[in-house]
Order: sequence, then C-alpha cells, then structure tokens
Amino acid sequence: MADRMRADARILPIFAAIVVIFGIVARGNANLMQAATFAAIDAVAAIGLSVLLGNVAQISLGQAGFFGIGAYTFGYLETAVTWPAGVALWLQFVLSTLAGTALAAVFGVLLGFIALRFRGHYLAMATLAFGLIVVDIAKVTPALGGAAGITNVPFPQFGSLTISGIAAYWYAWAMVAVAATLSFNLLRGRAGRAFEALRNDELAAEAIGVPTRRLKIAAFAYAGALAGFAGTFYGAFLGVVDPTAVNVGFSIDLLLMVVVGGAGGVAGAILGATIVGITNVYGHELENWRPVIYGVLVIVIAIAFPRGLIGLFVRPRRRDELTLAAAASSATAPPEPAQPVAASAREASGGDRSWLRIDAVDKRFGGLVAVDGVSFTLQNGTLTSLIGPNGAGKTTLFNTICGVSRPTHGRIEIAGRDVTGWQPHRIAALGVGRSFQNARLFGDMTVLENVLAGVYRTENATFASDLLALPRSRRSGRAALERASAALEALDLERIARVRARDLAFGDRRRVELARALAASPGLLLVDEPAAGLNASERARLRDDLQRLRAGGTTLLLVEHDMHLVMAISDRVMVLEFGKLIADGPAATVRDDPRVVAAYLGTA
Amino acid sequence: MLQLVVAGLTVGSGYALVALGIHIILRATRVVNFAQGEFVVLGGLFAYSVVAQLHASVWIGLVVATVAGFGLGLAYERFVLRAAARAGELSVTIVTVGTVYVLLYGHALVWGSLPEPLPYFSGVEGDASWHVFGVQIAAQQLWVLGLLALALAVLGFFFERTTYGKAIRAAANNPAGAQLVGIDVDRARSISVAIAIALAAFGGAIIGPITLVGGAAGIGIAIKGFVGGIVGGLDSPVGCTLGGLLVGVVEKLLEGRFGYGVSDPVVYGLLIAMLLVRPQGLLGTLRATRD
Repeated sequence: MADRMRADARILPIFAAIVVIFGIVARGNANLMQAATFAAIDAVAAIGLSVLLGNVAQISLGQAGFFGIGAYTFGYLETAVTWPAGVALWLQFVLSTLAGTALAAVFGVLLGFIALRFRGHYLAMATLAFGLIVVDIAKVTPALGGAAGITNVPFPQFGSLTISGIAAYWYAWAMVAVAATLSFNLLRGRAGRAFEALRNDELAAEAIGVPTRRLKIAAFAYAGALAGFAGTFYGAFLGVVDPTAVNVGFSIDLLLMVVVGGAGGVAGAILGATIVGITNVYGHELENWRPVIYGVLVIVIAIAFPRGLIGLFVRPRRRDELTLAAAASSATAPPEPAQPVAASAREASGGDRSWLRIDAVDKRFGGLVAVDGVSFTLQNGTLTSLIGPNGAGKTTLFNTICGVSRPTHGRIEIAGRDVTGWQPHRIAALGVGRSFQNARLFGDMTVLENVLAGVYRTENATFASDLLALPRSRRSGRAALERASAALEALDLERIARVRARDLAFGDRRRVELARALAASPGLLLVDEPAAGLNASERARLRDDLQRLRAGGTTLLLVEHDMHLVMAISDRVMVLEFGKLIADGPAATVRDDPRVVAAYLGTA
Repeated sequence: MLQLVVAGLTVGSGYALVALGIHIILRATRVVNFAQGEFVVLGGLFAYSVVAQLHASVWIGLVVATVAGFGLGLAYERFVLRAAARAGELSVTIVTVGTVYVLLYGHALVWGSLPEPLPYFSGVEGDASWHVFGVQIAAQQLWVLGLLALALAVLGFFFERTTYGKAIRAAANNPAGAQLVGIDVDRARSISVAIAIALAAFGGAIIGPITLVGGAAGIGIAIKGFVGGIVGGLDSPVGCTLGGLLVGVVEKLLEGRFGYGVSDPVVYGLLIAMLLVRPQGLLGTLRATRD
C-alpha cells in the first residue's frame, strides 16, 4: 500500500493543476463545466468507497443510500425548515451541509455494526439492501416529496455570491480537495497503518492491539460521511433531490468508478469518477450501450487489472522506498529496547503482581476437553516453557490467554486484571505480545511496515488527529518509527527492512514476527513454537534473542517442541498432556519425571 | 387473505428457484451470484422469443430457455467467475455485480426495456381458473408450483442418487480431497454453476406468464431470492425453497394490506434483521457468515 500512497502523493498535485487549468480554460462551456461538477461530486463519494474497499477490504453496495441521506437532509433543511431570523443564508448552507454529512456518518456507524457480522458477499447483500431501503423509504415519505422528491432547493448564497455555474465547479472541486486531503492524512497515519494490517490479517492485527471491529465501523462511518457530504451539494447544485438520483444504480456506478480507477487511496477514485464524468458528456451516441460497456469494463478490469487504471501508472517496486524509512535513517540514536521493556513491565504489572495467572481454566469443544483445569502463575521476568505431545492443548491454551477463544470455565488474570472473555486487542493493549505457530505476517507490507504496525498500541494518535494531520499524529508517527527501527536493530533486521513480507525466507519471517511483537515493548510475550522449521544456526540465534529478552525483563511463555532449546533456556517447564498439567518445575526435574517420560515415549 | 397467500406462493416459487441457484453456486464456488435475478429475466425473454418469433409452443420456450441457461452458465463460470477467482474474493463479488449491469442493460438493447407477456401454459386465453373454498386459483399458479416441485425432485435425485451428483457435492465440500480421489473439481464447478443458471432461466419462463418478462425486475428478484435463502438457511436446499416461498407470501400479504411501496423495504429489512439475529437461517447451520 505504500506504493499506493506514493501514487497519491505524486498524482494528486497533477490532478489539482489540471482542475485549475480546466476551470479557467473551459469556463465558457457550460456543458463541460456541469459535467466536471458532477464528476467532482461523484469523486467525493468515490474517495470514501475507495478507502473502504481498497484499504479496509470491506465492500459496500449501499453508498447511494448515504448519498441520499446527505442530499435529502440538506434538501429538507433548506426548503421545509424555517430557520431563526438571525441565521444568515451562508450559515444555513454550512449547517445543512454539516447535518447531512453527520447524519450519513451516523448511518455509516449503524451499517458498520451490521457489517461486522459478515464478510464478502453477505456484506455486499446487506449493504445493497440498506441502499434499497433508503430509496424505498424516500419514495413513500410525504415529507420528502415522495416520488417527485424535494424541489426548489435554493442555490447556496455566500453574501452576493451564488454557488452555481462556474462557482459550483470550484466549490465541488474544493470538496474533492478536502476529501482527498483528509483521506490522505488518515491513510498515512496510525489509522492507515492499522487498516493495512487488518486488511492483511485480522487475527494478527488483533494480536498487536488493533481494534479491528471498531476500525471497520469507523471506516464505514467515514465512507458514509463522504458520500453524504457529496450528496449535500448534489441537492444544492441540481435544485432537486429525487429518488432516482439515489437508486441502486448509483451505488453500482460508484463501485465501478472505484474499480476502474483503482481501489485504495485517493487518486484512483478521482480518476474513475472523472472517466465516468467524461463519458457522460461524450457518450451520448452510445446512450443505451454505455451501461453495458461499463459492466464489461468492470469485469475486465477486476479480472485483468485488479489495481485499476491508476495501477498502470505506478508500478509496485520490490524494495519500496518508504518515506518513513528515509526518515528512519536520520532518526537519532534509537533507545535500547531492553530498558524500556523492563520499566514498562514493572509499571504495568503494578510491581509485584504476576503478568499471568491462570486459574482452573477449561476449554471444551463439544464433548472434547482440550484444556482441563489448568492453573499456574508466571513469575515476572522469567522464561517458562509449555511442552507436551501433539494435541495436548498447548495452542488452545495460548489462544484462550490471548483472547482468541474464550475459556469454557476458569479465570485468566493478566497484570492483576481479570481478562477472561476480553477481545484480543484489549489484552494486547495491556502489554501482551504474541507470535503465531505459522508466523502470521502482513504479507503485502514490508518488514519495516510490519514492525511499525506492531507499535500501534503504544501510539497516541487518534482517528481525528490523523484526519487533520495534527502535530500529535506527526509526533506519534515519529516515535513509532524510532521504536520500530530499534526493534529492527535489536533483531538485526535493518538489512531487509524494505523487503515485502511475503518474499521473505521462513526463518526471517519468524524473526520479523518477533520484532513486530517486540516493537511495542511487551511485558508478557507468548511465543508459539518459534523453533519449528528453523535450521541449526537460526535456532542458535533464536535462543540468543529469547535470552536477551528475558534479561531485559520481559516475562516469556514459550510453547516449543525442541527439547534441546527448552531445556537450555527455560527457568521453568510445564508439561501438558490431554489438557492437564502433569508436571511443573525446573527443567532438570521435569525431564526426569517418570510421567513426562511416559507421556513422550509411552510406557513399556 | 388466502388469495394473497396463493399469489405469494406463486411469486415465491420464483424466489425459491433463485435461492436454490444461489445455494448451488455458493456451495460449489463460495460465491454469491448477484446476477442470479438477471438470469431469471433472461430465461423469460428466451422463452418469449421462441414463442413470439418462432411461433412455437411455450413449452418449447421453456425447454429452450433452460438449455440456453445451462450453456450460459458454463460460459459464465469459465470466463467470468473462474477468471476473477484468481484475483481474490472481493473481485468475484465485483464481477457478479458487473454482470448485473451487462445483462440488465444488455437485454434491454435486444428486447427493449418494457416487459413482454408470455402465454399461459394452459393454452387458454386469459388462463383457466377454478374457485376453491372462495379462493380463485389460476391454472398457471398450479403449473408454477407443480414445475417447482418437479425441478426440486430432479435436482434432489441428481445430487443425492447419481454418482455424478455426489461427485459434485464432494468437490464442493472438500475440493482438495475430491481432487485426490480423481474428481475434476473445475468441471464440477462448471456444471454446478450451469445447473444453477439453468434453474434461474427455468424459473423465469414458468413465472413469466404471471409477472411478464424483461424489464428491470432482476435485481429485486435476486435480492428477494437471497432473502429467502437467508431466511431458510443458505446451506439447506429445503430451507432455500421454503424461505423463498415465505418471502413471496410475506411480500404479497404486505402488498395487499399496505400497498406497493411498503412491502419492498420490509422484505429488505427482513434480510438485515435475519442476518443479525440468525445468520444461518431457520433451517441452516452455516457458520461461514462470520470470520
């Protein structure tokens, strides 16, 4: 996605120049100006959908519904409501615009809640139904003018200036500039990194503390708000808001613009909306053929150029030049990660509270008891290994600790707080890092971006501060970068910082995953079979890394099959068999325990 | 009231066939086909052309529509769905939406945008009808229900009793495993999609005499069929059938009581409510709706 951001940064100034030049050169041609104004209105809505579809991978076939909510709210406030005498016309316009945008955002949140429950086609159907409901309600509501719609919506007035004709062109493209700037800021900030992470791998995103559910809702609200914003000016520009303008066809048109232009980021959406706008002017001869051609175009582009037309201009590079990466090299000496870890660990755990306490935890799947009454308390700053034959329930226990699955009975306490039943991102936010058995990296992102995403939970930027690119977001981004570079350095990964994760060798993936977990200085680190699939020298390195972490004060819980490694580095070893702890103690004692020997080798 | 129920069962038969088609394609390819309703419209138009241009019997029209639907389904799977699957799940959803556009506006280019009448299967002008317990039942309504039952019986026999049908189900259930035992998974997918599209076209031809054929009805049919599937359970053929019929009845009852404008938003609202409360449907067990 970094290349998409780069495309935006490069192409948007060119677009801006074209808009300005076109506005001056073509000002005499009313037809062209009108078409360009409609293109701008579409572009605002398309940008929102592009972020939703391309950056968050959530589809919506109901954007016309939000557009309609914005348009109808605006039209209603401007025609049917008697404003207090003191409110100037321009203020009415501004307030009506804000109200339309805000109401669309509220419905975006509602749709977002619904959307959380589905993926892919189900989501598409639910959003389509939402769009249809909006049109149908508009059609039968007398206050909204029924099938005829709201007529005589006045042109906006700023003093003596009436926003119509050429002024409308400038206003509409100024709206595009606002939408583009906000979206660009958002995607560049903490929220954008989190979107990218959740698009790649939701479970891994949760594990680094990204609240995936809340972010998806925010994305729906944002896309809804932009569509509503576009809708407000549609009513003002045309003077009429009627149901035909907000029907399902428009939702599909928007999808088409985004797919043709290229989903994700800003430039593709603007390009798509402009192309459709142009064909609206010059396509009259093909009138009836036009939608058929659009349909074919969408199919062909979705199959052959999934990155859209904008993707033809910007080719992805293997070694991505991240703007952030350039800053990283100039960043001041990164702090040694070991110290802050220790400090934060003690702080968060309240000094003497254990990082992890498990009390009589059961996990059943139907009749199968995967974890059976397990209790233990970890001593802070130690490395404990959990071993056991395949199927003993180790990973299941891990997942209940991380919040991926809820224990059937029992209580899990992290840093003194009862976290039983919490969502994974909340547990991560307490200072818990984890790695996965099969190294779940964000495949489309570079190593640096992966590790940067890992910093998420320690950042203090918010959705709003990202949108407006406030100093807070910039500071947060810089701090994140420093932490990420420190983590890369600690694991000796700077060399491959710009390689895309999916191109990495397996051993490197594991180390990157460890770096991602370390970047946020976890107090408790859960490591699931880190040695699996590593060769001898990689294992030696892993052993060093883990020992260094413990020396830094991190509390570690390790699931591992490599007995050599386990016996060499563990302060304590616990053995799980058929979901029960059968042994617990120092490595040497456990190794000689007859029950453990029997579990592994069988009894004679 | 009973009159409305009978009318509802008739349009509901169309939704049931759409829901079944969506079910078959979903099971075989993990795709919800948004264009299913357009294929219903297309089937009706094929039958119309056979009757209007070739002056053949509407029964021949029905056969031609079904066979043409099968052929179209093969092409659709091969050149659209399979190609898009390589670009990811979202791409497949997008191309099925694109197909809606191509078919919706494409058939308007060929047949015009106004719906056309299809003759009644009874061959009687204005259709034969009987009064039973004060309810007027038209011959076409009986034909629709009878032909729906026939289609269900044929499908049930094919998927449950024949080796080939079982192979297709195996391929849908576990593609990798099916491949290992020698089933051609790609071919099974093609056939599944073709059967589903043939079913849609068949449905378009049998409800055509009542609803007229052509026009922009497809997207509504697709969504209501989907609602039926969701209500009954998209992973259960019986659920799909009953759900589709139920949606038809609900629609007609609402229409009878409150007029045209109200039934559609309520039915669409039913979809969202159902997805929220019981996404697996009344008779289904599907868990794939969530992460």
